Amino acid sequence: MQPDPSTDPIRRPFWRSCHTTERDRRNQRRLVAWSLSWVATWTAAGLALDNGWIGTAGGGVAIVLSALLGVATLLAYRRFLRDADELRRKIELDALALAFGVGLVAGFTHWLLAEAGIVAEAEILFLLVLMVATHTLGLLVGHRRYA
Amino acid sequence: MNNRLKVLRAERDWTQAELARALEVSRQTVNAIETGKYDPSLPLAFRIARVFGTTIEDVFRPDGAE
Repeated sequence: MQPDPSTDPIRRPFWRSCHTTERDRRNQRRLVAWSLSWVATWTAAGLALDNGWIGTAGGGVAIVLSALLGVATLLAYRRFLRDADELRRKIELDALALAFGVGLVAGFTHWLLAEAGIVAEAEILFLLVLMVATHTLGLLVGHRRYA
Repeated sequence: MNNRLKVLRAERDWTQAELARALEVSRQTVNAIETGKYDPSLPLAFRIARVFGTTIEDVFRPDGAE
C-alpha cells in the first residue's frame, strides 16, 4: 500500500523533515561549548593553584566555578543523549559502559598493586585520562561496527 | 531478526537519506537496520511500518521464520 502523498513524510520538504538532525546538531554544539568551557576553567584553576597565582579564596571560587561548569556539561550531555538518534545513543552508552568498566577494573587493580608495593601510587588524573581514552576508543569502535 | 526494509525502500525508489529523514533518524541507523547489524526499538519499528503503510510483521521477521 502506497502512503498518502499529501501526508507522505518522504515527500515533505527537507527543511520540514530534518528537525531531529538540526536538534542533534544544536545539542552537540551546546555540549561541545560547555565541555570546552569546563576543560578551560578546570585547566586554568589547576594551573593557578599549582603556581600559587591565586589565594585560598580565589582557589575556592575557581574550584566551585569549575564544578558548576562540570554539572552544566553533564546536563548538556544528558540532553544530548536523551534526544539523540537511537543508534547514536546505543553507541554512546556502550562506550560509557566500556569506559566505566575499564576504569573500575584498572582503578581497583592498581590499588591492590600499590598496596602490595608492586607499583607506585598514582594520581587520580591518570584514571580519568584512561576513562576518557577508553570512551573515545569505544565510540570509534561503535561507529565502525554500525557503519 | 530479518527485515524487508531494503526491499520496501527500493520498491518506492527512496534513498537511505530520504527514509532516514522520514523516520527522523540518522542514515547510519537506516543502513545498520538494513544490513541486520542493529535491531530498532519498538517505537522506531512502528514508525517504519507506518512510513511504509504496512505492519511491523510485514517488515520484520524473527530469525528462522518462513
